[in-house]
Amino acid sequence: MRMPRSLRGRLGLSLGMILSVLWVAAASWTAVSLRHEMDEVFDSTLQETAQRLLPLAVLDIVGREDEGLTQRLGAIRDHAEFFTYIVRDAQDRILLQSHAADPAVFPVYDGAGFRQTATHRLYNEDALRGSIRLTVAEPLAQRAQVAREIQMRLGLPLLIVIPLALVAIVLAVEASVGPVRRFRDRLEARTARDLTPIPAHDIPSEIEPIATTLNGLLNRLKGAFDAERSFAANAAHELRTPLAGAIAQAQRLQSETKDTAARARAADIEATLKRLTRVSERFMQLARAEGGRLRLDQASDLRTVARIVIEDIERTVAPDRILLSLPDEPLMSDLDPDAFGILCRNLVENALRHGSETGPVAVNLAADGVLSVSNDGPVVGPQMLDRLTARFERAGSDTNGSGIGLAIVAAIAERIGSRLVLISPRPGQKTGFEASLKLPNSSRGH
Amino acid sequence: MRILLIEDDAVLGAAVRDQIAGDGQSVDWVQRLDAAQDAMAVTSYDIVLLDLMLPDGRGITFLKALRTRGDVTPVIILTALDQLSDRIEGLNAGADDYLVKPFDLAELSARIGSVARRYTGNPNPIVTHGILDIDLAARSIRQSGKPVALTAREWALFEAFLARPGQLLSKTQLEDKLYAFGAEIDSNTIEVHVSRIRKKLGAAIIETERGMGYRLGTP
Repeated sequence: MRMPRSLRGRLGLSLGMILSVLWVAAASWTAVSLRHEMDEVFDSTLQETAQRLLPLAVLDIVGREDEGLTQRLGAIRDHAEFFTYIVRDAQDRILLQSHAADPAVFPVYDGAGFRQTATHRLYNEDALRGSIRLTVAEPLAQRAQVAREIQMRLGLPLLIVIPLALVAIVLAVEASVGPVRRFRDRLEARTARDLTPIPAHDIPSEIEPIATTLNGLLNRLKGAFDAERSFAANAAHELRTPLAGAIAQAQRLQSETKDTAARARAADIEATLKRLTRVSERFMQLARAEGGRLRLDQASDLRTVARIVIEDIERTVAPDRILLSLPDEPLMSDLDPDAFGILCRNLVENALRHGSETGPVAVNLAADGVLSVSNDGPVVGPQMLDRLTARFERAGSDTNGSGIGLAIVAAIAERIGSRLVLISPRPGQKTGFEASLKLPNSSRGH
Repeated sequence: MRILLIEDDAVLGAAVRDQIAGDGQSVDWVQRLDAAQDAMAVTSYDIVLLDLMLPDGRGITFLKALRTRGDVTPVIILTALDQLSDRIEGLNAGADDYLVKPFDLAELSARIGSVARRYTGNPNPIVTHGILDIDLAARSIRQSGKPVALTAREWALFEAFLARPGQLLSKTQLEDKLYAFGAEIDSNTIEVHVSRIRKKLGAAIIETERGMGYRLGTP
């Protein structure tokens, strides 16, 4: 038989089975030994009765004048006979019998001692060299009834006590594994971002090492994430600063030199450096999206982040290209503001780059945490939509990015348990494109 | 204007310094926060350009300490594109504006101008002064509709007067606005620039209080 996998199931089943078997065995043993004791008492009574009767029967029979006559003893007072007896001579003639004795139950005399037939327990005893033979019979039904009563009294309580005991076992096991279950529930209930230790003060000592190890592991993981985050920030800084320096120097060169050719070269250098910057920004974002920690311990208002990102982008495009709409109430989320910035920036830049050149890009952050970015432009086919999230896929050929913007957004969406939804044409219209995703929102009941 | 640049990268810092100097402003460039602390203790700056990651600490900490002391000098933070949390923290700590690295130097000049204008209480870059129409953002002046060209130094000096109309500015104050620490200044440099501005915009544009200084006049 296969044991269930749950600790509760195992404990309950094995304890219940062991207890039931032991109890039934103990009860059976008690019944058997009681039966044995009882038989001894009954036998002793039978033997005693025979030995008390025999001298009386001898006196009675020896004093008779007629030989071979059967005398049936009348009842002194009417009663049911429990022991019956007959007295026979060597020729097997019945000399004396108790009033209810049925000769048929008495087998042929074959010496002193106990005998047993299908219905009776018998005891033989003789006197005067075997000429007077006494047999006392006791019906077995009587013993059987007493044995049954004993069995009933031993068995009936078990029928009640065993189910009660099983229920008690289940309850006790349940109570004992309670802390383990609570520990499991706490572990299950936590979100991907939560790396705080799980409270384990009431955990049984057998499982405590597991809890301690797990908490230690969580702690190390948190440390590793934090280190990674600050490493990523430092690495990004180390990469950006020289690029910023080189671009600034190239710009200074253009404004300081009078030589047209040198100015053109400096402009080329600047353009190349800017392209390098864009590509490296994208790769840093992708690394962040795929490896970094995206949800923090504390929540922040996503509206602030959205405003800054849009303001950033607005500095580089024509006025009124971007229509930002934000909820009135703060939209609190544990999503890393930097990660949200990456999401937002990529969606908007994608819309600006691939959408209509003049139409506005609508950025809508709803109170329920859904961010949608839509733009006018040609309809993107369903097959293309599917492939768009694949890395380096581009919607057009005349693009200026490294084409991983949507892949970055999709990667972040997946890691925060959300999904990037691409629709074209945009809802309610014949043209355009809309990208949307649901963000973790801790403002209301999430 | 006198500007403090706090940036540890030598290449970027040099380019930014040259750009600001090219605009005719005076700039002091330090590479560490402790040096910035010292510079701010002895000089009053019109704008501080603050990088957020420096060898001896975080720019945010410096900014917070500055604001805690009650110092309201405008601060523009230089930050990375994806470090939005730092940027939000910086703006919350009292930064007036930000520039995302790598930035265009023209953008830097424009930001400095816009923050300075906001600080003087008039965010509108178009100023009318008598017969002069002045666009502070574009650095252009029209006198009765005719454009007048000023050099970067002359512009910086004229801007200093425009920022404080009616106020008497001493020669030392004006030198502070135009020149960085340790720069060689001829004793009559300010006089030379004032006379050139008067030549271009009319003698009444700058009034002289003998032995005290100069103030903006009406052309």
